[in-house]
Amino acid sequence: MTSFLPALSVLFAVVATAVPWGLPADATFILPLIVVMMVFCWRAIPGAALHPAAAMGLGLLADLMSGGPLGYWALMCLVAATVGPRAGSLKESREVGIHWLIWTLMVSLLGVFGWLLASLYYFRWIDWWPIALGAAASVVLFPIVLYGLLWVRHGRIGHARATIFRGAS
Amino acid sequence: MRERGSPLFRRHRPSWSAPVELLSFGLYFLCAVLLVLSRIGHGAINEARNGLVDLSAPMLELASVPAIEARRAMDRVKLYMAAFDEVDRLKKENEELKQWEWRTKLLERKVVQLRALLNAVEEPALAYATGRVIADARGPFVRSALINIGRRDGLRVGYAVINGDGLVGRTVDAGGSVARVLLLNDLNSHIPVLVGPAGVRGLASGDNSAELQLGFLPEGVTLYPGDEVYTSGSDGVLPRGLRVGVVTGSQGAYKVRPYAELNSLDAVSVLFFDAPALTRTDPPAAADGLGALSAAPAETPKTATASATLPVAAVAPPTGEQAQAER
Repeated sequence: MTSFLPALSVLFAVVATAVPWGLPADATFILPLIVVMMVFCWRAIPGAALHPAAAMGLGLLADLMSGGPLGYWALMCLVAATVGPRAGSLKESREVGIHWLIWTLMVSLLGVFGWLLASLYYFRWIDWWPIALGAAASVVLFPIVLYGLLWVRHGRIGHARATIFRGAS
Repeated sequence: MRERGSPLFRRHRPSWSAPVELLSFGLYFLCAVLLVLSRIGHGAINEARNGLVDLSAPMLELASVPAIEARRAMDRVKLYMAAFDEVDRLKKENEELKQWEWRTKLLERKVVQLRALLNAVEEPALAYATGRVIADARGPFVRSALINIGRRDGLRVGYAVINGDGLVGRTVDAGGSVARVLLLNDLNSHIPVLVGPAGVRGLASGDNSAELQLGFLPEGVTLYPGDEVYTSGSDGVLPRGLRVGVVTGSQGAYKVRPYAELNSLDAVSVLFFDAPALTRTDPPAAADGLGALSAAPAETPKTATASATLPVAAVAPPTGEQAQAER
């Protein structure tokens, strides 16, 4: 069951993206980017098994539910699944701050790439503001999501918190 | 030296490291292929999408319940907090509506007399079915919603979807029990409209923001903020006279603020309006795959309002004089 936890938690988040929360039009990027962030975090946490194909499949499900370009969020999740383990394998990235920084850089690049890709898909310049807002929100929410996933994995975050923040104190 | 061998941060060594590069390349390629197929609108992709959405509908319906209830609870709290102001506002509105009711009755009588004089043909009433938004399928690039009315209820692609405030969008995909509604503010939404008391023709296009762009207006036309915008029906798909919104902005950059609150849709109605253009794009043969598909729903719709009087009748645009007087 533990090996299915990453995929299940991301699946839960994918379903949550489709729920009618009544978010304003500018905030539509936030929830899908949290899904991408969860893929990144699961892949960065050593020992957590989320296969790239599963990450892509979950992204594809988000595409299907949103009715948007098929393969768009699948691609984003795949990029996150590719970068995640590389971030997790860096010696310095044992601190949460480094992970946070890597995610900030990654989501910035991913936002620009996603904006260009969407503009190419629709043959017109897409409004960049919702993407920027979503990226900024994901950066702010990163520690919350990371701790949430650690809690899901271990059932507690006490020991993990001490370890993660060791470098920051 | 600090101990860094926590189980959380052990060096990550994926067990599938050998074939993973090749697999990743294949997956990236697959994503690119899917994007291309999705862009060209391949039939298989659309069918698969509809099938999967149909399958996931019960799960989405279940998952949306807490969110909808939470939203309602928040609305109630807001309402309680502003209860006294709201009562005052409603009282004032009620007085105004009473006057409007009186005027409407007069006008109705006049219309009946004129119709009798002209021997005008009676307009057929439109059937409609009311359902609920079960999923907010608003991706970053798409403004759509899934509703729990499908082909089994008589729905067809292209039908207009309204709520109590006005036009919400039109159906673009239909499964057996669910349908996807393209909202007015979607990038791909273009609605031919009439604006103001003069009925100036234009095109209200979505751009994924809260307001719609108003384009293709006649040269040099002047509109005023607050002018009513309603469907012209010239696309041969939507019925004429559905309330869309009001004009905002200024000369050269007119916009339309939709009446319907598109971010928090709950109950919506689908109008069973079979225009010729619609019958061509979604012929009965294709639609009948999952049940009867005539203009009127074969089964009893989700509410007891089927075959009731067209709700549009209540949202007819104001006459020139009224609009001028309001201005």
